[in-house]
Amino acid sequence: MRCLGGLLLGLAALATTLDAQQTIAERLSGRVSPEIAGLVQDLGGAALQRGLPADPLIQKAIEGNAKGVPEERIAAALRVVVTQLDTTAAALRNAGFENPLDTVEITAGAFAITAGLHGRDITALARTGRPTPDVIVGLRVAGTLAALGVPPAETVTLVSQTLRAGASPGDLLALPGRVQSEVARGATPAQAAAGLARAAAAQARHGPPPDHGHPSHPPAPPHP
Amino acid sequence: MTTHDFHPQVKQLLDGELTLTDLPPELRAEGEEALRLLAAVDREPVSLPAVTWRVMAALERKRQRRWTRAAWLLAPALAAAAALVVLLGRPSRPTASAPTGMVTVRFVLVAPGAHQVCVAGTFNRWDPAATPLVRSGSGDLWVATLSLPPGQHQYAFVVDGARWVPDPTAPAIDDGFGRRNSVLTL
Amino acid sequence: MHAETGAGGAGPSDGEIVRAVLAGDRERYAVLVERYRDRYARYAARMLGSTDAAEDAVQDAFVRAYDQLAQCQDPNKFVGWFFLILRNRCFAEQRKGRSHVSLDAAGAVPTGERSDVATETAERRRALQRALMGLTGEQREVFVLKHVEGLSYMEIAERLNTSVASLKMRMHRAYDKLREQLREHA
Repeated sequence: MRCLGGLLLGLAALATTLDAQQTIAERLSGRVSPEIAGLVQDLGGAALQRGLPADPLIQKAIEGNAKGVPEERIAAALRVVVTQLDTTAAALRNAGFENPLDTVEITAGAFAITAGLHGRDITALARTGRPTPDVIVGLRVAGTLAALGVPPAETVTLVSQTLRAGASPGDLLALPGRVQSEVARGATPAQAAAGLARAAAAQARHGPPPDHGHPSHPPAPPHP
Repeated sequence: MTTHDFHPQVKQLLDGELTLTDLPPELRAEGEEALRLLAAVDREPVSLPAVTWRVMAALERKRQRRWTRAAWLLAPALAAAAALVVLLGRPSRPTASAPTGMVTVRFVLVAPGAHQVCVAGTFNRWDPAATPLVRSGSGDLWVATLSLPPGQHQYAFVVDGARWVPDPTAPAIDDGFGRRNSVLTL
Repeated sequence: MHAETGAGGAGPSDGEIVRAVLAGDRERYAVLVERYRDRYARYAARMLGSTDAAEDAVQDAFVRAYDQLAQCQDPNKFVGWFFLILRNRCFAEQRKGRSHVSLDAAGAVPTGERSDVATETAERRRALQRALMGLTGEQREVFVLKHVEGLSYMEIAERLNTSVASLKMRMHRAYDKLREQLREHA
């Protein structure tokens, strides 16, 4: 019976994957060449089986086609996206998260990696112990700060401090604008982020505001 | 020559013209000290990703100082945006509209000589013609107001149906194809 | 630090881009900035002692190069011409006494991967960078070009329009001074 149960589960998983591939094909229909559509189905199907989102692959394929990018370059970019998704998933697992991982969180982390962060930075941000929705916003903001030229170390420090201070999503989302304001006054992105991190650390010392709940994730394992 | 000076043969070692074994035994220790010095040279690459947009923004600021100030009179928000780039796209500060959770974003572009401007991104499946901006003010200003869901969006402007222009004042990332995408985090 | 005429890969040559920019396609200048900002970032960082200072210098050099682009006599040799502008910028910064002692070397060791060896390496790098900042600009430059960028004396001589003999003299003084400073701070 156990074998039969396993077989049925396997068939169900296969059906889900085939269903997902069908969805990928529909979303790409008429938007990319058959070759790129086939590649996205292959990569996306394999990604789904590993618990990764396929949406970033679909978006990248459509973007490349819209921009008139040659197929071989689109294919290369798709493979980079897969690597970034895998790197993010590994980073989240290193932070103590277990399968199934949140696909929105993976997408947010992959964006941050595109912007210049590393897997270890994603791990550090995920270890702040905040609820998943806050970590997702934190990862998006971290990617945005990196895109503004803030170095990874300063980015991680600023976003981690802000998360730990119990900041609201609105406070997190305001960080890139605050960095840009400081840069407009003559600071480098690194200096601007460091200054804001000091302010967040001071707030963290006084504890988070009372309206924030407990982390939905288990406490982070100790740093190696 | 002071006590700190390396022996001329050790300097040749540092220059790569001799090896440690070429040195006479009495100079080996000094040679090893010299090689330890070279071993501490930091050859880590340095990357300055922000320089591109900083340079282009600085150039545009200089250019705008030479321009007529007429555009600045149209509206403070547009003027602030217009101060920075050659072809400038700048989503205005987003304002949340409570009932739907959507966020209203205004895209503004200064595109002298353009006949058509659209914005394409992850929010409209990168369709280069789906979301046109409308000409406003002096004729060089193009504006579109969109309601977007909270989250992360990447976008670029499409000028005259062919030219993909990132917003140089917004954060930007490599698009994987050798260009840049602007980033909007709501 | 070697190519003089272009990116060495696909895409338009430096000369084509320079001519397009001079003809009014200002945005194309971003391609040159992307192409060379990181190639010279390390030189500037080691000359000035910090990545932040290097970022300012590289940005300023690109803006100056843009302003003077019409004076670039051979557009195909943009990169060599740009290097001289950046070099002047680094020397001017040093004259202002705004050189920085780098803490970058310590930061280059990834968080979570620190060990005694890594810490020691970072400390040695920092000590050497501190000693480098005690050299004259000319001495530091020849050291950086040879031992950080890996250029030969011949290549440096061509780049700086000087003789190998005078470069060696400068370098040998630099070796002695570095040894002296490292011993004093050991």
